[in-house]
Amino acid sequence: MTEDAIWASQLTKTYGPLTAVDHVDLRVPEGGIFGLLGPNGAGKTTIIKLLTGLSEISGGEARVAGFDVRRDPMEVKQRIGWVAAEVILDDDFSAWENLWLQARLQRLTDWQERADELLAYFSLEGRKKDKVGTFSTGMRKKLEIALALLHKPKVIFMDEPTIGLDPGTRRMLWELITGVNREYGITIFLTSHYIEEADALCHQVAILNRGRIVALGTPNDLKSRVHADFLEIDTREPLDEARLKALAGVQQVRTQGTTWILKVSAAEEVLPRLFAAVDPGQIRRINVEKPSLESVFIDLTGQRIDEAGGEVHDFRKFYANVRRARG
Amino acid sequence: MSHANEPSLVYPPAVADASEVGRPAPIGQVSQFSGLYYREILRTFRNPWVLVITVVQPFMWLAFFGSSFANVPLADLEALLHIQIQSYLQFLLPGVLSTSMLTVGMFGAMSTIQDKRFGYMKRILLTPTSKSTVFLSKALGSATRGLVQVPVMIVAALAFGVQLNGSPLLWAGWVLGLVFLALGFSSLFLAVTASSTDWQTPGVISNFITMPLMFASGALFPSANFPTWMATISNWNPVTYSALFGRGIVVSGTADWLYLGYLALFAALMLTAGTLVARRYLRVE
Repeated sequence: MTEDAIWASQLTKTYGPLTAVDHVDLRVPEGGIFGLLGPNGAGKTTIIKLLTGLSEISGGEARVAGFDVRRDPMEVKQRIGWVAAEVILDDDFSAWENLWLQARLQRLTDWQERADELLAYFSLEGRKKDKVGTFSTGMRKKLEIALALLHKPKVIFMDEPTIGLDPGTRRMLWELITGVNREYGITIFLTSHYIEEADALCHQVAILNRGRIVALGTPNDLKSRVHADFLEIDTREPLDEARLKALAGVQQVRTQGTTWILKVSAAEEVLPRLFAAVDPGQIRRINVEKPSLESVFIDLTGQRIDEAGGEVHDFRKFYANVRRARG
Repeated sequence: MSHANEPSLVYPPAVADASEVGRPAPIGQVSQFSGLYYREILRTFRNPWVLVITVVQPFMWLAFFGSSFANVPLADLEALLHIQIQSYLQFLLPGVLSTSMLTVGMFGAMSTIQDKRFGYMKRILLTPTSKSTVFLSKALGSATRGLVQVPVMIVAALAFGVQLNGSPLLWAGWVLGLVFLALGFSSLFLAVTASSTDWQTPGVISNFITMPLMFASGALFPSANFPTWMATISNWNPVTYSALFGRGIVVSGTADWLYLGYLALFAALMLTAGTLVARRYLRVE
């Protein structure tokens, strides 16, 4: 029997009256890339903290790399790697010193050869002796992944691996992540609020909203569940909802102020009818969403992923920006 | 994605064979502790200004404070201080060394808060490293930083012409006493700031602890001159015992080993309390 790399049952985290993670069930088979997709504040980072033993579990159970997170946190920590959203390294130390410290913390002996291999793999061998503070963000990210791989973990947790990166660096990281997964056979558990990222990288995606998993499956599987397009319409004045509903091909109408979301059978057919029924002068903007992970999210929650976050003050991100500014 | 598209990526052998990287190193948390302790030391002493301050500060104390009574006849000074001395500097040296251990805790507390704020604490605690190990490495790291002042101060005192008595054994005993004092106060600071993430906390606490414990001790003036309430504080204050222990050695070459025992007890209590507090309350971020 192959053990799941990650298994969680009814995993829950509460902060006082606030439920950040709400009875989440997870099964991540060994060797896959699993993505947790959701808006800011959905509880993605909290789930990583629970699975890695960084934060205390309020309810439910979790097993990672074959060990119970609550009972044997040290066993779990020996078998997992971690890549932070904000790139956490010791800037005053060289790349090699960062690796040395990681080896100490993971109680490794004879790690030097492995570290050299990893530096070569990430094309950092020339900067081995340089202080990490002088590295570009892409290089820092690569070094962080090298640190996570040093002790040959079974699972690597990556929290928003490409947040705040330019498109070129992001693409490079995607290739590295798939490469690491394929060549090293390591299970990767990542969180993201980028649709394309989850789509491009993950074998399996769980969509998280307000601490609950609202959908789970392969990206293709999820997309095929929504047999519809979405029209997002911004208008100057509220529209007549009954009239929109009456249009042929419209399955559902949702509204938020002056933004209307129409679930339609096929956008190409409904659009001409819409223009005939509504004064085009009233329409400021129309966005057509063909089946995608975004449309899955819209279908389930009535909001786009980047809108659903709300005003969660994310100090973690703030410090990430501070660090980027420094670096 | 084929290998032809990525010529720069040469994959090292896959991980299945875990024997390439050895584990575990000796016992328990030794590896983690030594790594974190060495990190503290490197971070501290790579900064040239830390070194400059470490060297200059003792000189300042001896030069400025030590000269306060330069024009007082020695007999009057001896009457005031209740002791036979060569100079006020000779009286002051053990006291200044003792009081400078009061502030060492601030370094460890600030470095801990920096690790929390920059997320480095997460990097540490996502490895098999316990919170007590983090605490002990910080406590020992900041104590070490404080203890670097000891040799510097002694050299400074010699440069100012202070006559130092006592055998090497006595001096070894006294340095051990200062180690206890430094460990005790750095543990105290770390325990009090365990759950804090505010840069300002260590400074605030330092003000609350340092002033009273510096003056309500026998470090700068003898407690025989104090009002009762201040003498009471002084009698409980470990700084007093470190100063008296050192003064006995420096001034007359004699030691009361009971003082050393008191300092050891102080260090043991604070280390234990700090470990317990850290295990329970040390915040990750």
